[in-house]
Amino acid sequence: MAMPQFDHSTASLPQLAETPSTAESILRGLQDAGTCIQGAYVHVPFCMHRCHYCDFFTVAGRDQWRSAYVTRLLDEATVVAQHWPGPADTLFVGGGTPTWLEPPDLARLLEGLAACSLLGKGGEWTVEANPETVTEEVAGILAGAGVNRVSLGAQSFRTEALKALERWHDPDSVPRALAFLRDAGIQDCSLDLIFAVPDGGDAVSGWTSDLKRAVSLAPTHLSCYGLTYEPGTPLRRRLESGAVTQVDQDIEAVLYATTQSVLADHGYTQYEISNWAQGDQVCDHNLNYWRNANWWPLGPSGSGHVNGTRWRNRPRLGPYLEGQGLSEIDTVEVLDADGRAGEVLMLGLRCTRGIERQKVIAATSLPMRGQQRAAAIERHLESGLLVWDDDLLRLTQAGMLLGDTVLVDLL
Amino acid sequence: MPIRNFSIIAHIDHGKSTLADRLLQATRAVSDREAREQLLDSMDLERERGITIKASAVTVSHHCDGQDYQLNFIDTPGHVDFTYEVSRALTACEGAVLVVDSTQGVEAQTVANAYLAIGSDLDLIPVVNKIDLPAADPDRVAMEIESVLGLPAEDCIYCSAKTGQGIAELLDAICRMLPDPRPATINETRALIFDSHYDEYRGVIVYVRVFDGALKIGDRIRMMGTGTTWTITELGINTPQPQKVTQIGTSEVGYLVASIKTLEDVRVGDTITLDKYPASEALPGYEEPQQMVFCDFYPATAAAESSKKSDFEALREAIEKLRLNDASFTYEVQHSEALGFGFRCGFLGLLHMEIVQERLEREGGVEIVQTAPTVTYQVLTIDDEVVEIHNPADLPDPAQIKEIREPLVKIEIICPDDNIGDMMSLCDSRRGVFQSQQFISEGRQMLVFEIPLAEIIYDFYDKLKSITRGYGTMDYEITEFRADSLAKVSILVNGAPVEALSLICHRENAEKRGRSMLLKLRKQIDRHQFEIALQAAIGGKIIARETVKAVRKNVTAKCYGGDITRKRKLLEKQKAGKKRMKSVGSVQIPQEAFLSILDQSE
Repeated sequence: MAMPQFDHSTASLPQLAETPSTAESILRGLQDAGTCIQGAYVHVPFCMHRCHYCDFFTVAGRDQWRSAYVTRLLDEATVVAQHWPGPADTLFVGGGTPTWLEPPDLARLLEGLAACSLLGKGGEWTVEANPETVTEEVAGILAGAGVNRVSLGAQSFRTEALKALERWHDPDSVPRALAFLRDAGIQDCSLDLIFAVPDGGDAVSGWTSDLKRAVSLAPTHLSCYGLTYEPGTPLRRRLESGAVTQVDQDIEAVLYATTQSVLADHGYTQYEISNWAQGDQVCDHNLNYWRNANWWPLGPSGSGHVNGTRWRNRPRLGPYLEGQGLSEIDTVEVLDADGRAGEVLMLGLRCTRGIERQKVIAATSLPMRGQQRAAAIERHLESGLLVWDDDLLRLTQAGMLLGDTVLVDLL
Repeated sequence: MPIRNFSIIAHIDHGKSTLADRLLQATRAVSDREAREQLLDSMDLERERGITIKASAVTVSHHCDGQDYQLNFIDTPGHVDFTYEVSRALTACEGAVLVVDSTQGVEAQTVANAYLAIGSDLDLIPVVNKIDLPAADPDRVAMEIESVLGLPAEDCIYCSAKTGQGIAELLDAICRMLPDPRPATINETRALIFDSHYDEYRGVIVYVRVFDGALKIGDRIRMMGTGTTWTITELGINTPQPQKVTQIGTSEVGYLVASIKTLEDVRVGDTITLDKYPASEALPGYEEPQQMVFCDFYPATAAAESSKKSDFEALREAIEKLRLNDASFTYEVQHSEALGFGFRCGFLGLLHMEIVQERLEREGGVEIVQTAPTVTYQVLTIDDEVVEIHNPADLPDPAQIKEIREPLVKIEIICPDDNIGDMMSLCDSRRGVFQSQQFISEGRQMLVFEIPLAEIIYDFYDKLKSITRGYGTMDYEITEFRADSLAKVSILVNGAPVEALSLICHRENAEKRGRSMLLKLRKQIDRHQFEIALQAAIGGKIIARETVKAVRKNVTAKCYGGDITRKRKLLEKQKAGKKRMKSVGSVQIPQEAFLSILDQSE
C-alpha cells in the first residue's frame, strides 16, 4: 500500500480539556472535539512460552482463558466502536501471540473486529504471528477476515540463536508459514529478525546467514532488531549476573552495517532505524507511532495516544476478564508543549525520511528547551550525525547507529 | 567527703560499658528497674556499634571503711581513633580502671590506653573481666598484664560485670587505692573543660573538672584560651540523671550551662577561670587535636542545579551541629570542579571519619558523597618553607618542592603466632619497617612496625582482621613526619590534567596505583564519539595509559506505541545524568568516577 500522506499537524488538533481518568472520558472528549484516530491496536497476551528477552505483557500457561478473552475483547471493541470518530487507517493485532488462539477463537476475534468497522476500507490490517502457529487453516482465517498483512516472528534461522533466545520453533516453519499465507492471498508479509544474539558462535557470519536466508524468502518487509536487554526481563538479570555476555558494540555496529548493505543489495529500502521494506510496503501502523499520530488501544497493557495524551491500559488479565466495556487505564500522561516537541523529534528522527523543517522550527522556538535543542542540532549537524535534506532533518548513516546519542540532547 | 575521679579504660568490647553500668547499679545510682544497658552511651549510634564515642561524667557515692566517698566516673571512648578524647578525659582523673577481657587477654588498645594513663600519671587498677564465661582464663590474663604492662598480677581484681561478681571489691579498691585529688594550688578558680555536649534547649553543656577554687551559679566566667566570657546559668552533676547544684567545688566534676550557643566558643581542654579574679596561667596539658586523615564531604543530591545551594546549606548545618558534639574534627568549605561545593574535613582517624559521616546522615538527615581519605603531608619548598597539604591538588608546582614528608606511625599489632608471617608480609608490602616482636602469652605475640600512615588508612585494619580471622588487634600513634620518595601522580584525560583525581604516593607504587586508577576510570566514563586517552603522569612523564574506545552503536532498537513513554523517560534520565557530569575538555566524566577511582582498593 502507498505511503500515506501524514499531515496530522498536532497543533491544529483540539486539546483535551483536562487529564482524563478513564478511557471513556478520552473517547467522549474525542467525539466532542471531532478528532480522528489513525490507528487501533488490539493486544492478545497469550503465548506458548514467555521468552526471556521479552518485556511485553504476555501470559503463558493460561490458555484456558483464551476463549473468554476473545469474548471480553469483542465487548470492549463494541463499546469503542460506539464512540469511534471515524474509520482508521490501520488496525494491528499484536501480542503476545494472536495466532496462539484456537482457530475458532481467532476467527471469532477477527470477524468480530471486522464487524466493528474500526478500520476503514482498504486500510492496513496486520496480525502478528509465530511461524509455527500459521497453518493452512489459520492463514485462511486471517485472509477470510480481511487481514492483509502478517508479521512473522522469525528472529533467526539458526537453531543455536533460537535456543539462546528461547524460541523453540523449527526454522523451516518460516517458509512454510509464508507459503500458507501467500496461498491464502496475503502477500504483504514481514519477518522479525534479531541480531547480536549471544549464541556463542561467530556473530557476523551467523547474522549474515540469517539475512541471506530471510531475503531468499522475499518478504515484503523486514524488521531487524539489535537484541535489547530490557529491564525486568530474565535476560537482563542473566546479563547482570554475568551468565550472559553482551555482544561487543563494535561488533554490533558491524552487524548493523551488514544489515543495511545486504538488505539494500536485495532491494529493501530502510525507512526506520530497524525497519526495511520492498518499495512502498512500509508498515503504516508503526509509522503512525513515529509520526505521533493518534491511536487507540484495546486490551490489557495496550498503549494509546491522542493529541499529546498518552495512556496505558492496566496490564492484568484477571481484572480485565472480570470487567466489561473499556479497559481500565493504568497510567496517563499529558505532555506539555516542550515534552511533545521532544517526542516529535525523538520519534520522527527514527524515520529515514526525517522531520519537516517546520516541525523542527516549532520544537526549537519553544521558550523552555528550544534554544538548547537548536544548539544540540547544530552540534550534531557539525559532528555529522544529523543532516538537512532540503526541508527535512534526518539522521545520517553514522547517526542511525548513534540515534540515542543525538536524541538524548533533543528531548 | 573524699573524692575519687577515675576513668575506665579498655580495649573495645572488653566490657567497659557493662562494667560501668554495674558499678552505677552497685552504688544504687541506677535501680535495677531503671537500668538501661550501657547507660553512659547516650547515643543510638554508640550503642549500635558498641563503641563509646563521647565521654560523660557521672557522680555517685560509695560507702567504704566507715565513710562515704564521692566517686566521679568519667567515661572514655574506647577506640583507636579517640586517643585524643581519652587523653582529655584522663587529664580530669587521678586514677583509672584498666579492664581486660579474661577470654581475650591484653590487646593492642589495652596497651595503648594503659600507656596513655601512665603517661598522665594515673594510678591503675587492673581488672580481669568476664570471668563467668567458660572460656575465661583469668590467671593467664593477669600474667599478661604483669608481663606486658608491669602491673603485678596479684593486684588484678577478677570480676564479672554480668553477674556482679567482684564489683563490690572493685568499688572498695577505687576508694582505697586511688589517690585523693590534688589540693588547690592557687586561690583563683581554674576548671578544665574535658567534654561538651550540645543540647537543643540549653545550648552547650560544658563538662568540667574543677582543679582550683569553685564555680557558682551566676559567676561570670572566662575561657582562658578563647578569651570569651559567659555567665553560668546552671550547674549540675549527673547521678546519672542530671541534678542541679549551686556550686562545683575544688576537685569536683560536673557540668555547666551558660547560654553558650555554639561549640565554636568552647574549646575542650581550655581552662575556665572567673572573669573578675582570673588565674594568671591556664592548666597544662592541653593539645589541639591533630587531624591526620582528611576527606571531602559533598551533598549527595548536589545533582540538580536548583537544589544545590540548599543541600549544601543543609550539609553545613548538619556539620556545624555535629561539631557541637565533636570538637575533634575540622571542616572547611571546599569547591571541587567535579562535585561542586562541599567540605574538606579532618579526622583523628578512619573510624572517626566513618562515625562522623554516619552521624551526619542519621542525625543531620543529609546524604553525603564522601571522597577517599588522604593523610596530611608536609611539603618543604625550595624557600625552606614547610607547607601542610591535606589534598594532593594543593601541592605546589614540582619545581617549588624540595621534599615531601609524610606522617609515620608506630603500629602495635597483637596477633596469634600462626599469623605472624602473614602480618609481616602485609606490613612489608605497605612499606612497614619491622621494629620489634614481643611475647604476650602462649600463642600470641605483639609486633611493632614503623609504617606510613597513608598505608594503613585504607584497608589495613580489614586486612588485619581477615588475616587473623578477627583475633588480631592494632593500635598506632603518629611518631613523626619524614621525607620519602613521594610524588604526585596526575591523571590526564585527553591530555588535560584533572586535579580532583591526582594523588600522592611513593614512586615505587606510582605506576601500579596509576594504572589501577585508570582502569577504574575507564569503566566509569561512557564511550564518546571519539577515543579518549586516559593517562597517569608524574610531572611530564607518562607512567600508565588506558583508552576509552569511541562509541560505535547507541540506538534504541524498538520504539513502538507502548515503548514511547518509557524510552523517553530513559533518555531523559540519561540527559539528567549528563548534566551532572563534569566536562574535561569535551569529555564528560560522571561524578561516580571521581569517587570510585579514589577508592584505593584493588
